[in-house]
Amino acid sequence: MTDTAIQAAGLGRRYGRRKRDVLADCSFRLPKGRICALVGPNGAGKSTLLAIAAGLLKPTAGTVEVLGGPPTAARSRIAYVAQHKPLHPQLTVAATLRLGAELNPGRWEQSAAERIAYGTGGLEPKAKIRSLSGGQRTRVALALAFGKRPELLLLDEPMADLDPLARHELTGALMAEAVEHGTTIVMSSHVVAELEGSCDYLLLLQGGRMRLAGDTEELLAAHALLTGTGTDFAPHTVIERRASGRGHTALVRVADTTEESAAGTTGPARHREQPTLEELVLGHLRSHQAPAGDIDHTDHNDHTHQQETAA
Amino acid sequence: MSTFAVKGLPWTVLRLHRTALLVWGAGLLAATITLIRMYAIGDDARAFAGPCGSPGTSLASCLEITELTVDDTYRDTLSQVATVLSYLMFPVAAWAGGALIGREMENGTAQLNWTQSVSPARWLTAKLALPALLLATGTTTAVLLNVWAHQDGDPNLVGDWYYPDVFVSTGPVAVAYVLAGLSLGALAGLLTRRALAGAGVGFAVTLALYNLLERYREDLWPAQTVIGRAALNQPRSALQIDRGAITAEGQEENGVFACVDSDSLADLEKCKAATGLTDFWATQHPRSHFWPLQFVESGIVLALSAVAVLTAFLVLRRRTP
Repeated sequence: MTDTAIQAAGLGRRYGRRKRDVLADCSFRLPKGRICALVGPNGAGKSTLLAIAAGLLKPTAGTVEVLGGPPTAARSRIAYVAQHKPLHPQLTVAATLRLGAELNPGRWEQSAAERIAYGTGGLEPKAKIRSLSGGQRTRVALALAFGKRPELLLLDEPMADLDPLARHELTGALMAEAVEHGTTIVMSSHVVAELEGSCDYLLLLQGGRMRLAGDTEELLAAHALLTGTGTDFAPHTVIERRASGRGHTALVRVADTTEESAAGTTGPARHREQPTLEELVLGHLRSHQAPAGDIDHTDHNDHTHQQETAA
Repeated sequence: MSTFAVKGLPWTVLRLHRTALLVWGAGLLAATITLIRMYAIGDDARAFAGPCGSPGTSLASCLEITELTVDDTYRDTLSQVATVLSYLMFPVAAWAGGALIGREMENGTAQLNWTQSVSPARWLTAKLALPALLLATGTTTAVLLNVWAHQDGDPNLVGDWYYPDVFVSTGPVAVAYVLAGLSLGALAGLLTRRALAGAGVGFAVTLALYNLLERYREDLWPAQTVIGRAALNQPRSALQIDRGAITAEGQEENGVFACVDSDSLADLEKCKAATGLTDFWATQHPRSHFWPLQFVESGIVLALSAVAVLTAFLVLRRRTP
């Protein structure tokens, strides 16, 4: 259990009188030391999942363990940056960092926080929080999170209001943090490309359900983009198929390797490509909300879903 | 300032509410200076509020007295202090519901604390305990100074003990009120999760509580019943509640003011014969009921505060893991 950052089983959350579950039957295991992208469309339940992991929200179903115990027991070892970056508007940047130092005795590392807040193109220590732009507030919120030297860093849409340069810097800082201290990082986004280069683990949420969970390398290796003249892509499981210029292109989950090579030689001529993470995510998202048309609604029953999440 | 010796969570509470802390400190300082000044002019005020005569007599000169207003200053200032002390729970409740709790729930900074190694229960404890300590000590100081400045409590100068403002501002009830303002405001902020709504609800609830207590204060301790001439001639120091008479048929009648102007026993007998009333009664709170009334009211208000605090913790526990 010690090598697990987050383990969820049948996790669900429902808000008040609203009928739809914001999160339903989520099961996954995130190993320690990973940089994990939590991806999904708006309203998929990403923020809810992160708030539960951060010990701010009670799940209404299922269980979650964070760093080997309930999230509330790991409070001092988790850092969480909420989507709207809540900060005290009346404080200065320096006073905000002092607040982090006072609240995390024994853990706080002022230099780590200052590097983020005052580093290249950084902020004035005496600037009031209420005078900062959205991106600058994000910097302060991240500085609070980094200064805490967390074992698990939960970031809800951290890139949303950063300019490309700041985004690049943040990605660099996250990578350095993860490499240096073995910090596990979970970042949510609805823009897959934003996280593509930096993450090595993927959680894909849609409509409150976990569609994919696993190591990105393994997930990518288990899928292929096949282009062929026919619509038959046996023996592979078609996730999504669409008409392309020469025939049909399909995102498939490849069948067993030996079978696959056999099929490759005997079956119809196909062009095989490795999908990008974005293609993989989009294919899975589309297959679950497939409108009528050329996109196949394929066999995503609970059984295959379970296999994926176990991956 | 008082913040440099404080560490950790208490430091953050004081730092976040520095404005409120400064306002409270300044208010307390102003009250202290005012009350010391009132104590100092107390003797003059008493001298000039007394009888006066022509110049040359042993009494103070009436001419001088009408020109000097030291007794007016004393009377008006103490009356204002009494009003401020007894209305203190309204701004405290609005602040607790708004700035202390409501705003933090609204903009998510409460959650920020909860992810900075501080559990929700510890956060609320600090948010309530520190202000409670400062409010209680400050209010106690102001009440003691106020009682000291009242000196002999001459009702012509400081008002009768049973005037609502005087009653609240000269006993432990004032401290209980302020604590009730804090706890009810905090609960309002926690329930509404909005700064403005929290402040509004906190203010409204304490306003209702204040009026309810003022209305029913005299029922909080059994009143004393007096009969005969004592009922017709109640002293000023007693809070008069009800009065009545007993008719020749032996029936009690409430609110009878007949014969109250009878000066002597003979007058009274004459009046009795004329009205056909056989006896008179009145209910009152003598001055000695001040402390029982203070303790019962303080007890009720503190119990209510305790319920509010307990509810706040339960609400927080139900909402957070």
